[in-house]
Amino acid sequence: MDAVERENLDRQKRWVKEQKVGEGAYAVVYRGREFSTGRRVAIKKIKVGQFKDGLDMSAIREVKYLRELKHQNVIELLDVFSNKTNLNLVLEFLDSDLEMIIKDRSLVFLPADIKSWMAMSFRGLEFCHRNFILHRDLKPNNLLIASDGQLKIADFGLARDFADPGFKMTCQVITRWYRPPELLFGSRYYSSAVDIWSVGCIFAELMLRTPYLAGESDMDQLKTIFRALGTPTEQEWPGHTKLPDYVPVGQFPKTPLRDLFTAASADTLNLLTKCLLYEPRKRISASEALQHPYFFAIPHPSHPSKLPKCTTQMVPRPLGEVDGNVDMASTGPGVKAAAPNKGRLKRKMTSPMDDARTRSIARKLDFTKHMKSP
Amino acid sequence: MTTKSNYGWLQGRTVRKGGYSSNSHTRSNTPQIQSTSSTIFGGGIKDPSGRTSEYFSMDDQCPVCKSDRYLNPKLRLLVSSCYHKMCESCIDRLFTLGPAPCPICNKVLRKLGFSPQTFEDLGVEKEVAVRRRIAKEFNKRLEDFNDLPSYNDYLEEVEDIAFNLINNIDIPATEARITAYKTANAALTSLNLQREEAEALALKEQEDLERREREARAAQLAQQEQQEREERQREERELIDKLETSQKDAHKIVAKSRIAAAKRSSARAASSSVNSGLLGMSFGADYAKLLKTRTNKVNNSVPDEPHVPFQDDWYAYDDLYTVRAEGYDDIISEAVRKDREGIMRAGGYKVEEAWNRALLTAVAGLDVVAISGLGEQKPVEDVDVVMDSI
Repeated sequence: MDAVERENLDRQKRWVKEQKVGEGAYAVVYRGREFSTGRRVAIKKIKVGQFKDGLDMSAIREVKYLRELKHQNVIELLDVFSNKTNLNLVLEFLDSDLEMIIKDRSLVFLPADIKSWMAMSFRGLEFCHRNFILHRDLKPNNLLIASDGQLKIADFGLARDFADPGFKMTCQVITRWYRPPELLFGSRYYSSAVDIWSVGCIFAELMLRTPYLAGESDMDQLKTIFRALGTPTEQEWPGHTKLPDYVPVGQFPKTPLRDLFTAASADTLNLLTKCLLYEPRKRISASEALQHPYFFAIPHPSHPSKLPKCTTQMVPRPLGEVDGNVDMASTGPGVKAAAPNKGRLKRKMTSPMDDARTRSIARKLDFTKHMKSP
Repeated sequence: MTTKSNYGWLQGRTVRKGGYSSNSHTRSNTPQIQSTSSTIFGGGIKDPSGRTSEYFSMDDQCPVCKSDRYLNPKLRLLVSSCYHKMCESCIDRLFTLGPAPCPICNKVLRKLGFSPQTFEDLGVEKEVAVRRRIAKEFNKRLEDFNDLPSYNDYLEEVEDIAFNLINNIDIPATEARITAYKTANAALTSLNLQREEAEALALKEQEDLERREREARAAQLAQQEQQEREERQREERELIDKLETSQKDAHKIVAKSRIAAAKRSSARAASSSVNSGLLGMSFGADYAKLLKTRTNKVNNSVPDEPHVPFQDDWYAYDDLYTVRAEGYDDIISEAVRKDREGIMRAGGYKVEEAWNRALLTAVAGLDVVAISGLGEQKPVEDVDVVMDSI
């Protein structure tokens, strides 16, 4: 037995695997414990055998970047060891994600709660960007919540480092609903601004309790974005018509965000607007966002321990059910236990329209029910 | 029926004797009338909800060939785009070979332009069609206007156009107005259309939700009743058993069991009221109550602290280097920097970030002491690096 094998065996002995929590296309997740302390961990076993061309890309990405990142708001990779032909990642155990919390209708969010979650997301993201790493798959589902309420960014299966001037990057990243317009237009050179757009969408989703820009296809996603924020003009976003996959999708007027976010404060809307700017170079950066007056205004962000917690039971769910994501093969959602229902795409669109229905004058007659068109 | 005289011009007076008289109850004493299902609106084909989807009466007569329901029991009259009725066989005969003039008003018609009649009065038929068309195009809302008077002006204009179309006043001018409006407001119109669809969807969803809620309540109630019934039966059986076996006074036993039953039923009532409250809450009805409990819970724990942007002890290295304002002329980023069409700019790529990263990785950790080996060596102090090129 050589030194490497011995070292590996030593590491393996430190962790105890317990029951299976979930399974995906490229990984199986187990709940586990640290042998010496009894601390709960999650062990992600990556299936190696079935991939002809070696290890799965997202596994490599996950190890490569998580090995370097250690921050309060980023999931911690505790150890890596191999077992026969499998690769095992030992990660922090986190019991719920933001999506479960958003969907749990018995929970009520105070503005301070949203502020706290946003601050933690931006802090984690700022740390990634500070280290020149793009996450490229931010969504509520990938923001995990620790038992003490801390929010942690997980699933670095699509992450990569940025600012390399020579390399094109793929535009087929980020779950569709959270994908910025420059990626939808096929830009191969982008920057940290793509993650900021996703955070903006999550911010809006926290307020609405329903996905903000839920497109059904890539084309529909662009339409949905423009319908919500107005079609960009050349001044607003110079050069966007020259992007590789640019297609005109119709003219939509600008509607003020205030119409949809009726209860939000001016600071809130200001930050949201800055996160959802069309011109990526003008979009706010994570560190600028953390200095935004929204975070300093009253109410103070809720203390993490007081944030609403998910009440639903943890149920093992199949991993790798990536909603709306093109890159099906590459993402098994990080290590998290269980959202209760599988119909992830069928999240219901409820009632932002309700108040729009109360119109003062109803003079239009609806004859559609009475006759076929002549 | 009272509006009929107002629309006399529509009926085409030349055919009045044959076509129009079919509606005017001249033969209302014929036995067929009595046999149709509806009495007010004449007969008609009805859809499952009981709405008339196609109108017909027993004394229909084709104004062209004068054939009537007596001669042809399958007679079906369709309405042309100029609002004249014809039977299907006439339509086949006249229009199968392509567009041909209407035998009544000479307007050129096509076979596809005929549609079934919904209303007895063709004037209503036309008005409904016109208003449907107008409503599709002119769907602006109060929110789209700055003030109420301008919205009212707009409604007035719409009504004007509709009136013109219905009464055949200035048709070309009116059509021109409509096309002008259409081109000017295409985006807004489609947006409002989408809005309407979304609203219809939301409404339907809410109705579904309410229906589900009602069903859940009913099921719960039924279950409760069932439970209650079973319990009562069990009690009765127990009472009879007791009366049979025990030697105590029968009256006393009966009284005891009555008291127990009353207690149970009151407990049940209390629990059911709690349950129904919970049920309502789970469907989002009692949001305010939830919010209240949440705020109460918050108040009695750890206080919230003001926002601290960065919570880690991070050193930015900004003081160790400066990025040249005019940039660097490096080979690697040449293509990106040139960027003739502005594609990288539009995608948000910043070459400054690349320079920043290169410089930062060059200087980061310069003053970090090695962990082992050269323990006594002092850290390098104040290394100011100003790079001229990479």
